[in-house]
Amino acid sequence: MSVAERQLALDLPHRPALEREDFLVTTANAMAVAWIDQWPQWGQPALLLYGPASSGKTHLASVWRRVSGAVMVQPEALLERDPPELLVGAAGAVVDDLDRLLDTVAEASEIERALFHLYNVLREQGGHLLVTGCALPKQWALTLPDLRSRLAAAPAVEIGPPDDRLLEAVMVKLFADRQLRVAPEVIRFLLARMERSFAAVRALVAALDRASLAERRDITIPLARRVLDDIQGYTENEAHEEGS
Amino acid sequence: MARFGTDNGFSQSGRIESGGGQGSGDSNRGGPGGRISSQERPLGGSGMAGRESESAVEEQWARVRGRLRSEVGEAAFRSWLKPLTLVGMREDVVRMSVPTRFMRDWVSSNYADRIRALWKSEQQSLTGVEIIVQAPREAPANDTALAGTVNGSGGTAARVDSDSAESQPAQSPAAPAQPQPQPQPQPQPEVEVTASDSGLYESRDSTFNDLSAPLDPRFTFENFVVGKPNELAYAAARRLAEAATTPFNPLFLYGGVGLGKTHLMHAIAWHLHSRSPRKKIIYLSAEKFMYQFVRALRTKSTMAFKEQFRSVDVLMIDDVQFIGGREATQEEFFHTFNALVDDNRQVVISADKSPSDLEGVEERMRSRLGWGLVADIHPTTYELRLSILQAKAEEMGTAIPLKVMEFLAYKISSNVRELEGALNRIAAHATLVGREVTLEGTQEVLHDVLRANDRRVTIEDIQKKVAQHYNVRVSDMSSARRARAVARPRQVAMYLSKQLTSRSLPEIGRKFGGRDHTTVMHAVKKVDELRSTDATFAEDVDLLRRMLEG
Repeated sequence: MSVAERQLALDLPHRPALEREDFLVTTANAMAVAWIDQWPQWGQPALLLYGPASSGKTHLASVWRRVSGAVMVQPEALLERDPPELLVGAAGAVVDDLDRLLDTVAEASEIERALFHLYNVLREQGGHLLVTGCALPKQWALTLPDLRSRLAAAPAVEIGPPDDRLLEAVMVKLFADRQLRVAPEVIRFLLARMERSFAAVRALVAALDRASLAERRDITIPLARRVLDDIQGYTENEAHEEGS
Repeated sequence: MARFGTDNGFSQSGRIESGGGQGSGDSNRGGPGGRISSQERPLGGSGMAGRESESAVEEQWARVRGRLRSEVGEAAFRSWLKPLTLVGMREDVVRMSVPTRFMRDWVSSNYADRIRALWKSEQQSLTGVEIIVQAPREAPANDTALAGTVNGSGGTAARVDSDSAESQPAQSPAAPAQPQPQPQPQPQPEVEVTASDSGLYESRDSTFNDLSAPLDPRFTFENFVVGKPNELAYAAARRLAEAATTPFNPLFLYGGVGLGKTHLMHAIAWHLHSRSPRKKIIYLSAEKFMYQFVRALRTKSTMAFKEQFRSVDVLMIDDVQFIGGREATQEEFFHTFNALVDDNRQVVISADKSPSDLEGVEERMRSRLGWGLVADIHPTTYELRLSILQAKAEEMGTAIPLKVMEFLAYKISSNVRELEGALNRIAAHATLVGREVTLEGTQEVLHDVLRANDRRVTIEDIQKKVAQHYNVRVSDMSSARRARAVARPRQVAMYLSKQLTSRSLPEIGRKFGGRDHTTVMHAVKKVDELRSTDATFAEDVDLLRRMLEG
């Protein structure tokens, strides 16, 4: 068997290497991953995935797309095309960031109707719809009662706030994305003192990158301390104590 | 037989193997769990001389791990080194895997030297250490689901493993050299399988025109739970389904979303179908009627469209409110409706409002819709909800404690669809985590539905609640007192503050009387320890957590 054939065979496993390799499963997102893995046993035609920005919803959605062959449905397409045209034979669809979409577009009610129709078509075909969003689903600005009730009946799974391991991994990833090499003790220093959210780690990494670039020096504990201090008014007490 | 040939032992495909070796024997079977190999199994294989035995390598690995753990400390070990898995050793190169790419980069750049040195001390002849990326083993449940899906594309399992020359192309229809015959643009040919996987719908038969939506087999009269709020609609549907002639025309069912209109319509169709299999029945939603009509206009096939609708014996249109405001569709629908009713064919309509309240619908139409029997479905009562849950739980074959059903019936009063959705979720969750359904578990799973609002818990909330629970003063949360009676609750509160808020540890420390962030870390560690050794304590903490998340 040639190498090429063997590699192609690898596209068939449950979770394709490309998607899965980059996704760290911890307690914060384990249930979400389990639900994605559970497909097609969702019990309902839809699954809602919600959690803070940058928590990996879109990533998980694409893991599911690879498994299910589902199509990613863009808002414009939803408005312009009928479900059969959108699905082109696929038995699944992903609508990303629905709550933000409903809050920002003028055609929100048209989006809802189109989505309702898409849901119904998928349901008839025994297909599935994955919808992601940030807020608690019951707070999504859904005004079409028919759609609202269908989505309310769907399992909703949350990607929770990051636990220590996830926060650490995300921080390492964000540093790696910027080609920054940061020593483990610096990471530990930051983790013990920063606000523990996806958004905070993103802001912090960006600030450290800027500072390191401006001062042309590596990211060390003293630099980290200063940047943290700037960001969150991290005070002299802790800094002093850690200096030992 | 050697599972892995000499040339692919370390390739990425080492991760996958067939349940029973190469050949056609199991190419269409793919039993559960057979496809994904145990990644911890050292790459064995017969006939390779000069190799450490598997168990010796395992033992060395255990020692290397133990020493790594003590060298780098528990926290770093847990985050980065614990996920390292031994893949195997070959030709003096030891191979380990991690589940993600960052982890590989991180481990390689920070711990590679130590790992190499430790392995070297176990085995002098070692020449290299490799860390590869490998997805973790799947849970058994997935394997089953997956095996079923992949089988749909034919012989995958056998192909991956067959590196022998006898492997026949016939066994691998999806092989790269042979494009799929189906005109499917999207990758996975198995998507088609999912339609039957879900078990939702029977395939169509001749009764139902292809304009008709498939009927849900669960939606029968037998499965409809009758109570005060829906008994009128139920009786009307039943009467229509059992009558020899058209008792009233149309039957107009209305009520809020998720109360069972669709269920009754499907039940009528099933019943009519079983009585007279040759009757032509179309069931579809109004919005689908609209889309079909618009398409017919576009493709200039409106005549065919009209023909199809006007030749049926029974027409059922669900959610007719959706044609409100769409004039052309409404017009067409009105003609179809009149033609059928005039011809004494049965029409069944559902909507969320009574005919006279339909918005955007012409007056003449509203009045005609109300000519037959109009039956409404009222919002559910607690008793009806409870009976529905009992019936549904029985149907699902899941043991749901009465306490849980009462809780759901009490809490989820909006409609039946959401009620059943909630029941599905808790049953699915119980299966997923392999635990029985309990009231606590239910509250946790449904916290997004039950929670009144998304208000973030504050450290002050936590301090108050914890103090109340342990019967200490809130001021003790920030006092300097060290007596265990106050120190322990304080630690619990710090622990919960870390779990439930995103506040930094120094900030948490400040709110507890200006304590240091290391004190917070110590509290978290202490509570974690106690939770694992003291079940009562663990329950206490979990209870507090639930109350706070409320």
